[in-house]
Amino acid sequence: MADVTAFSYLTGASALHKMDVRFKLASMILCSLTTVKTQFAGLFFLTLVLGIILLYIRFPLKTLIRELRYFSVLLLFVFIARSLSAPGLPFIKLGFVTVTYKGISDGALVCWRLLNIVFTGLIFVATTRPSTLKTAVEWWLKPVPFIPEQRVAVMISLMIRFMPVILEQARETADAQKARGVENRKNPFYRLKKIALPVLIRTFVTADELSVAMDARCYTEKRTSMKLTAGKNDWLILGGVILLCCLMVV
Amino acid sequence: MTTATTEINPADTLRMTVYASLSAALIAAGAYMAIPIGPVPIVLQNFFVMLTALLLAVRWGMGAIAVYLLAGVCGLPVFAGGMGGIGRLAGPTGGYLIGYLPMVLIIGLIVEKTDKRMIFDILAMILGTIILYTCGVTWLKTVTGMAWSEAFTLGMYPFLIGDAVKIAVAAPLARSLRPLIRQAETLKI
Amino acid sequence: MNIIEIKNLSHRFANGEIGIDDINLTIREGEFVVFAGMNGSGKTTLFRHLNGLLTPSGGSVILDGISVADDPKRARRMVGMVFQNADSQIVGETVYDDVAFGPENLGLEQAMIAQRVSEALHAVGLNAHADKRPHLLSGGEKRRLAIAGILAMGSRVLVFDEPFSNLDYPGICQVLKQIVSLHHAGHTILIATHDLEKVIFHAQRLIFMKDGNIIQDGAPDDNLKEAERFGVRTPCATHFGKEPISWLT
Ligand SMILES: Nc1ncnc2c1ncn2[C@@H]1O[C@H](COP(=O)(O)OP(=O)(O)OP(=O)(O)O)[C@@H](O)[C@H]1O
Ligand SMILES: [Mg+2]
Repeated sequence: MADVTAFSYLTGASALHKMDVRFKLASMILCSLTTVKTQFAGLFFLTLVLGIILLYIRFPLKTLIRELRYFSVLLLFVFIARSLSAPGLPFIKLGFVTVTYKGISDGALVCWRLLNIVFTGLIFVATTRPSTLKTAVEWWLKPVPFIPEQRVAVMISLMIRFMPVILEQARETADAQKARGVENRKNPFYRLKKIALPVLIRTFVTADELSVAMDARCYTEKRTSMKLTAGKNDWLILGGVILLCCLMVV
Repeated sequence: MTTATTEINPADTLRMTVYASLSAALIAAGAYMAIPIGPVPIVLQNFFVMLTALLLAVRWGMGAIAVYLLAGVCGLPVFAGGMGGIGRLAGPTGGYLIGYLPMVLIIGLIVEKTDKRMIFDILAMILGTIILYTCGVTWLKTVTGMAWSEAFTLGMYPFLIGDAVKIAVAAPLARSLRPLIRQAETLKI
Repeated sequence: MNIIEIKNLSHRFANGEIGIDDINLTIREGEFVVFAGMNGSGKTTLFRHLNGLLTPSGGSVILDGISVADDPKRARRMVGMVFQNADSQIVGETVYDDVAFGPENLGLEQAMIAQRVSEALHAVGLNAHADKRPHLLSGGEKRRLAIAGILAMGSRVLVFDEPFSNLDYPGICQVLKQIVSLHHAGHTILIATHDLEKVIFHAQRLIFMKDGNIIQDGAPDDNLKEAERFGVRTPCATHFGKEPISWLT
């Protein structure tokens, strides 16, 4: 599970890598949201742009396939369900199920939209260092009332830090139990309890120790946050994205 | 029961912040943890969500979920299957993720309003699970355009037995873990 | 000059257990002090009073003239602490972020933070790993990262609780070398351990604790032979009537 922790970030120095994370985050979310309202022509155009970007940042094909493996099953599922469920002119009749033209085009549209959203997300993750992400989130949350953005930033970074640790501990626990023949026990209550309890206890003990260690290092919520600086390029790209989004909707 | 560091008192907010962050990490890790028993493996994610709600109650429980979802929206691979991003929330299974918020809200509310007897915890988790499936199945139906009956058959029935197991295990676990995290003071925040 | 003055310090835990009992102790700036004693003798409890993580039931700790109770924030800045478990004290997603955590809490300027982080990473020899994720570091590197984290806060007193636990031989040497060089740079060093072998050669003062009390305090040469009386294993060399030797040869 260590590969999970790579978080798919590709080191590089493309314009997207250098882009201010705040602008990049906004661009990604804008793109994703407008995609939901886009028709075939717009989708085609967007896929073209995204494809060029994927090539430009040299996104490895192997990673792309791996990342899409799970999602493609979901997409296929959506496509089949959609094409079976829409009324209209029958395209093909198999026994008592009818596939309609409208169903197929509906299904294709929904899947294509989702796929574009996924591409947008992949590009964002591939060009963004996870540790800078929290700074952007913090900045965007600042104007939102009742949300302590500094705390959220710290929480995100603790989460990124400890997710692999917890996974590793869980795997250790599971291996130790396998070595002692736990797989012979078919009782799911027993199995669930035996794997969950050690993981939970270790996590909460870690949390206790961690909060003491943070306290010892003068933790406060009024901390220096990382400075981000936006340049002309950031505004240019964001402008481009907004233009693109407007074009896609009309 | 006391833990090794019970005496040390970092500001309550700091301790709860750390508990919530690590719960979010636990939930994220839970997406990758499954017990391969029976036809449908038991995935630990919603089990950890329920425990988070039981242990951290409304405010910090919702905080943990919100941070988890936020991290996912930003593209970190915290959802099952590895890939994150808005695409997952917009996809057919997005309702099961968004649904964690109302689920934790209802479980947390019940925990706060009752005296932590196990029967109430179980009741809370059953209600929470119903709410989770309401969100999940409705969303599944909307995105895929299936009929209700199909949506239930695919998006709920296969998981119910596993959920019953999870609830049955979570209740006693919550009981033995509560002293560990000093729930009493934090509920009053 | 005394950098730490402990006066009649006692700590009783909530469950009635006595952690430390009426301790009096002064430590001069730049000293290298080793605290030895069995499990449960009160070393950790004593240390946690030095930066106000625990509040005394009686007595006080005075750091360079100012009581910890009066200014706990200053105490935390001044006394940097490396805990027993290296894994649960690393906060940042990357090595750089972790070292920056302390200075960020002090509200320093971004440029100042960058400078301090780079100095601290240089001091522990981790500057090549600045972008690495901490859970991929070795045990010795994790401990050194924890040390960098407190160096970046500008701590003058460095407190180590069992710094060698769970380390292999190269790991122990790395950390020991680090500690010794920090001592040479003028830091006051306090180490808790029940394994004297590794540090005793470098120590200037050896304190034995038992049941929350200090029962022996002096130069290592004088009281090393008595170690086993207090439940601490003496270094091999002492057994054979020789002087202790450094692990760093
Ligand atoms: N949170 C606590 N609640 C109650 N008693 C405690 C607590 N922490 C420590 N003690 C007790 O205080 C005494 C001193 O413990 P302390 O941890 O300071 O010893 P130590 O010298 O650091 O031991 P070790 O070598 O195991 O680290 C022990 O008897 C211990 O049982
Ligand atoms: Mg100790």
